[in-house]
Amino acid sequence: MAVAVLDRRRTPRAGRKDKGKGQRHLQSLAFLIPGAVLLGAIVIYPAIQTVRYSFYNETATRAVGLANYKSLFSTADTLVALRNNVIWVIVFPFIVTVIGLVFAVLSERIRWATAFKTVIFLPIVFSVTASSLVFTQIFQLDPHVGVVNAVVQTVDDWIHPPGAYPLSAGETVSTIATYGVAPGPHGTLVSSKAVSAGDAVRLGLTGINADALTVLGARAARTPVASAGSITGLVWRDFSISNPSNITSVYADEDGFPNMRLALLKSDGSTAATTVTDASGLFRFSDVGAGRFHVEIQASNFQAGFSGTFWLGPQSITPTGNLSQTAQALLSVPLIDISMILAYLWIWAGFTMVLIAAGLAALDREALEAAHVDGASEWQTFRRVTMPMLAPVLTVVLVTMVINVLKIFDIVINLGADNSGPGGQASTLASDVYNYGFGGGVHTGLASALAVVLFILVVPAMLFNLKRIGGNK
Amino acid sequence: MSRRKAVVSASRRHKLFLVATLGGLIALAASMMPAGASTVSPRLSHKIGGSVSVWAEWTSTEGQDFQAVLSPFESETGISVNYSGKGSNMDTAIDAAVAGGAPPQVALVPDPGTVVGLAKKHQIQPLAPVIGSEASDYGSAWNNLVTYNGKLYGVWFKGANKNTIWYNPAEFAAAGLKTTPKTWQQLIADAATLRRAGVTPFSLCTSIGWPVADFWQNVYLKSAGATSYNALAAHTISWQSSTVTTAFSTFAQLVGQPSFLLGGTKGSLNNTYPTCVDNVFPKAGVTPKAAMVFEGDFVVSEILGNSTNYAAGTTAAGGKKCTLSAAATPCFDFFPFPALAADQKYNSAIQGAGDVAMLLRATPQAKALIKYLGSPEAGEIWAHLGGFASPNKMVSLSSYPDPVTRADAAELQNASGFVFSLDDLQGSWEPSLWQDMLNFVKNPSSKNVTSIEKTMQSQATAALGH
Repeated sequence: MAVAVLDRRRTPRAGRKDKGKGQRHLQSLAFLIPGAVLLGAIVIYPAIQTVRYSFYNETATRAVGLANYKSLFSTADTLVALRNNVIWVIVFPFIVTVIGLVFAVLSERIRWATAFKTVIFLPIVFSVTASSLVFTQIFQLDPHVGVVNAVVQTVDDWIHPPGAYPLSAGETVSTIATYGVAPGPHGTLVSSKAVSAGDAVRLGLTGINADALTVLGARAARTPVASAGSITGLVWRDFSISNPSNITSVYADEDGFPNMRLALLKSDGSTAATTVTDASGLFRFSDVGAGRFHVEIQASNFQAGFSGTFWLGPQSITPTGNLSQTAQALLSVPLIDISMILAYLWIWAGFTMVLIAAGLAALDREALEAAHVDGASEWQTFRRVTMPMLAPVLTVVLVTMVINVLKIFDIVINLGADNSGPGGQASTLASDVYNYGFGGGVHTGLASALAVVLFILVVPAMLFNLKRIGGNK
Repeated sequence: MSRRKAVVSASRRHKLFLVATLGGLIALAASMMPAGASTVSPRLSHKIGGSVSVWAEWTSTEGQDFQAVLSPFESETGISVNYSGKGSNMDTAIDAAVAGGAPPQVALVPDPGTVVGLAKKHQIQPLAPVIGSEASDYGSAWNNLVTYNGKLYGVWFKGANKNTIWYNPAEFAAAGLKTTPKTWQQLIADAATLRRAGVTPFSLCTSIGWPVADFWQNVYLKSAGATSYNALAAHTISWQSSTVTTAFSTFAQLVGQPSFLLGGTKGSLNNTYPTCVDNVFPKAGVTPKAAMVFEGDFVVSEILGNSTNYAAGTTAAGGKKCTLSAAATPCFDFFPFPALAADQKYNSAIQGAGDVAMLLRATPQAKALIKYLGSPEAGEIWAHLGGFASPNKMVSLSSYPDPVTRADAAELQNASGFVFSLDDLQGSWEPSLWQDMLNFVKNPSSKNVTSIEKTMQSQATAALGH
């Protein structure tokens, strides 16, 4: 532009045109050189080199044509990154703009607006690494640490109260039944033999930790004594340290299961009576009358409590488990993406709010007042007057956020941690560029190809913003 | 009892997943230890003077330990050593320095591939004139890794062992297990016993692929032997060969039993490293959640980081019984990865890693340092400090501070075969290999294994070009 300005000044002095023009050109060139050299050395040369390397092999020693681009769009590892970029671009910019708009409009109507804006804006000041550390704790698997899981656990325990003997993950009632019981319907255990009045049964279970029994005040198991007219029995921990493989006898170092909820089932499957075992695991159904029964250990005993959702885990929220690897890579939406987007919203909402609030403040008040005078409601004014006038600002915010998340990297590396490696469910184009470029399994060619693709994706959004800024002038 | 030094990881890979800073520890040239304490052998004790530059990956505690190793050398020889710790970027740093024409005189790298690569390019010096008969202090399994064209180019200073399954002795006691398993079948049987006692047998570090790959590689090594292992690493045998299928189906005996795994299959896929170690050896106030965890000897730093109460071995301090509670007298111990094959020769091969010293410029000072690093005296200094195991057979086992490190070092010294992590040798498809391993943990059925093997074969072919 400087050259253009000089040209215009020069026109009247036509006589000295040639010499003067040459000199001035030289002068302006001299001023341009330092900047041009810097730009060339740290932007243009590396950019050209990156494009060149993208056609080379992993050590950048042999040209391989379009192979890197082909593998980029065909292997699951890099498709995961492309898919994640798509998820980010579709979900994040829109939501963060809407939240920013809501905050901006709200902040105009409340007292303490400055304090409110400061608090909402604060996260943008923190390093993303620090914010990620905070969210790593918030999303922790252990409900004693992670506040999100603590909330879910509280609600879950209220809806499905856990039993006294929760099964470990991977266990079923059939893996813990050892003596005299077999799995029944709906997670229950039922005595293998039918019993009638005067019988004494022993029901042995394993797989339950001795520590859990100590907490419940369990006492040593005792062989049940038969009693006329009643069905008696024992539910006990059928695991003896001194005889770990014997599962028939009751040993002195085996404990009973206290507070085990039992039901007596009639032959038609209906419940005749219920009871609970004592500290030694003994129980008694009195005056059962004639007929044959089964003793049922109720499923509620084994109800496992909520042990936490792994919010930062790679598991997909769309059912893609049975699809091919490529289809999985394209169609899965891992939970960690959602968690990262939530954290990133917390970080960026303040920024969009401030931009939009600035736009709101610059609006023509007269138009708004005119709408009010004409009897438009708040909502109508917002929809028909504010929004159209604010549209340019919203578009710039939206496009800026699109560029922002196309290059998404810092939160992926920090909060995505284990899942941000190549092929990891949190990985994005930018994180793959880093990992293939400098991390484990270096592949210079592929990293460069990824960088080129990322650049091509960013260009339209960038041009759009440049054009807008240019247009404003 | 003096506070034990944390055993710091020698694993490059688990560091790769921490965001590492390149900040190096610039060595102090001046010696800080009195000369009288040194035990340097007489052959080094004439004064040479001058200086030598040495690079290695060790920083912070490990960096200080290495400085302690160098101190007696400096005072005996009058050579001042400029040590620079490069962290996890050692391989990249040395490649860049060689390419830039300003390498250090001596460097210790965690990858024998770097040594062979530089030897091919004649960038490093053969060690025969420096290390003579002392080469036989190392097993041939070690020397072969750094031999090129029949010439030895490296001397192993520090070793790391991945032949280790770590267990909480109190958990074994709670299930009435008095011995550790010697065979794979026994391991599976013991896991079943633990399960019946209500103790979850395994905390598998499987939220990420590399620990699964390490585990699988041990299974493969012990079932197919070191020769096949190296052939598979070089991809001269197929990923669809029967030895691979055998390793998968053997591993499936463990992975295919969700009740053996902490959190079941789904929970295992969320069990991150090093949390998987903490689940077996927790901090005070937390109950252990599982009995065993597999990873290399670098997990010791994590265990001792959780509580310095942890005693190495099966008896706690003062001869007390090992407790579950980390607040009382907890213990940790390992048993060698159990034998798989009937052929016993496969079972003494171990998987691991190590740091190997190489000579980039043959100055008298650099030669003296290489000779010193290959001597048992140098190894014994760090052995005393803890967190170190030497593959050098002349390093006295009595110099190790506890029975666990001693057993660990003995395994390294006596290994009949020594292999490096196969996944680290795969170049650009290493991350894909990790994903394939995770895919196996998700679904260890033989049908899925067939499809995984097919995928791995095509990935290996595409990446390695054969």
